[in-house]
Amino acid sequence: MIGAVLSEDKAAAVAPPPQRIVHRRHWGAWLFGALVLALLAALLKAAVTARIVDLGVVGQYLFSPQMLIGARNSLALGTVALFIAVLVGLVVALMRVSGNPILVAVSAAYVYLFRGTPMLIQLIFWFNAFPTMFKELHVELFGVVLAHVPMTQLITPYAAALLGLSLAEGAYMAEIIRGGILAVDAGQRDAARSLGMSTGRLMRHIVIPQASRIIVPATGNQYIMLLKSTSLASAIGYLELLRISTDIYASNFRVVELLTVAAFWYLVMTAFATAIQTVLEKKFPHR
Amino acid sequence: MANRMDEPAIRIQRLAKFRGPLQVLKDVTLDVPRGQVVALLGPSGAGKSTLLRCINHLETIDGGKIFVEGELIGYRERGDALHELPDLASSRQRQRIGMVFQSFNLFRHLSALDNVMAGPVHVLGLPRGEAQARAQALLAQVGLAEKAKAYPNQLSGGQQQRVAIARALAMQPRVMLLDEPTSALDPELSQEVIATIRQLADQGLTLMIATHEMAIAADFADRVLFMVQGEVVEDAPARRFFSAPQHERAKAFVARHAGAAAASATTD
Repeated sequence: MIGAVLSEDKAAAVAPPPQRIVHRRHWGAWLFGALVLALLAALLKAAVTARIVDLGVVGQYLFSPQMLIGARNSLALGTVALFIAVLVGLVVALMRVSGNPILVAVSAAYVYLFRGTPMLIQLIFWFNAFPTMFKELHVELFGVVLAHVPMTQLITPYAAALLGLSLAEGAYMAEIIRGGILAVDAGQRDAARSLGMSTGRLMRHIVIPQASRIIVPATGNQYIMLLKSTSLASAIGYLELLRISTDIYASNFRVVELLTVAAFWYLVMTAFATAIQTVLEKKFPHR
Repeated sequence: MANRMDEPAIRIQRLAKFRGPLQVLKDVTLDVPRGQVVALLGPSGAGKSTLLRCINHLETIDGGKIFVEGELIGYRERGDALHELPDLASSRQRQRIGMVFQSFNLFRHLSALDNVMAGPVHVLGLPRGEAQARAQALLAQVGLAEKAKAYPNQLSGGQQQRVAIARALAMQPRVMLLDEPTSALDPELSQEVIATIRQLADQGLTLMIATHEMAIAADFADRVLFMVQGEVVEDAPARRFFSAPQHERAKAFVARHAGAAAASATTD
């Protein structure tokens, strides 16, 4: 009796009537997409008819030696600043997780101060206020004067921009690195310690490599942000992309064209940073 | 008791440990001779893990002394006080005290082989070639030679724990501390880990195993320490512990597990 019922069920399961499957169509999203497209087309038409950009002028400046120098300077400033920021951030993050109350307080104050004030203010501070606070740099070792330079000579726009960007960025990196370190579970340290690894070794071989899979993607974002933040250095006269563009359009009034050229080079730099980030993320896969 | 060696593998004297106002270890005193297999039993929160973690100084202590093969662990006697050793000195002492954890704690960014090589390479400074040969042999010993390239997330719990045992063995430990090595595993996977631990016991390694696993405690432990609320309330040869427990809690524990063992025997 039961056997008969079972075989009947089985027969039904083996041969279902052929039926077409129709998946959900998401008509609303397609409708919205069409709307967005129409809006963009209208914007583009307005831009073209208003003749805001003279493409000839854009082409003329796109690869001009001045703009290339600006792009190179921006890239160099942002890249060097990131490297310093990573080092500063690592030290500050390790201070923050050290457990020593002095180191914790100092690192927390640093992060609060440098992350909490606008980068532009910091750049202007390093360029204008810092040299008047300390008139000269004097390095002396056992009576031998190693360096004696007036500060105004030492703090060039590049130096001030580098100092400002890397210290401000260092505060962000400190938080990113600290977050990465805290995300590595305590069992990993226990295991490393039980093998006889000292704190330094377990940080280097176990904690930092695992923290990196969190730190690397975030650092990539910071690099992109930093490359664009180099434009702030235009305010203290450093010849990066934006400063060179404004200097040129101050004389020929081709504001939009030159800003377009600058924007183009920022986009190139961003693509470059994204490519590096992709490669690095593959080196630290999520396990 | 022939050929008694001069120092026990582990000697614990009047060990005390507090967590805040709570005393988690009370006056623990015991000697573990070399080659002995000690099962630490007792309810959760009895202080079994804490005791093990004190023996390799993963936890500081608040009183007493711990020696491994005659060496005072974690502290240095100066005057009438014990001063905690600096990080490097403590790390050196831990090199020869193996530890296996409940949650395996394999290094997630390293393959099984690299996990086993980590100690020899990064701590002992062994050349990679030599360390790799040793690691490969140890993985073979725990039956995982073909999993050398696998990452922890590609291994089952039982396999991970066996790699963790090989990792500890790579440092050629004098004693092994196993903190609930099978508690995170289902019964089937527990068996392969228990077999591996039994191998270590057969090789004459000194083992201290915190466990709830009767297969370890009853089958091949030499001695049982039964802990309740930070105290060792019963310390007996394993056979006697299971046949004639003395302490009230130990009696209840044995009765409960004997029942469970009998039940599982009838269903098998």
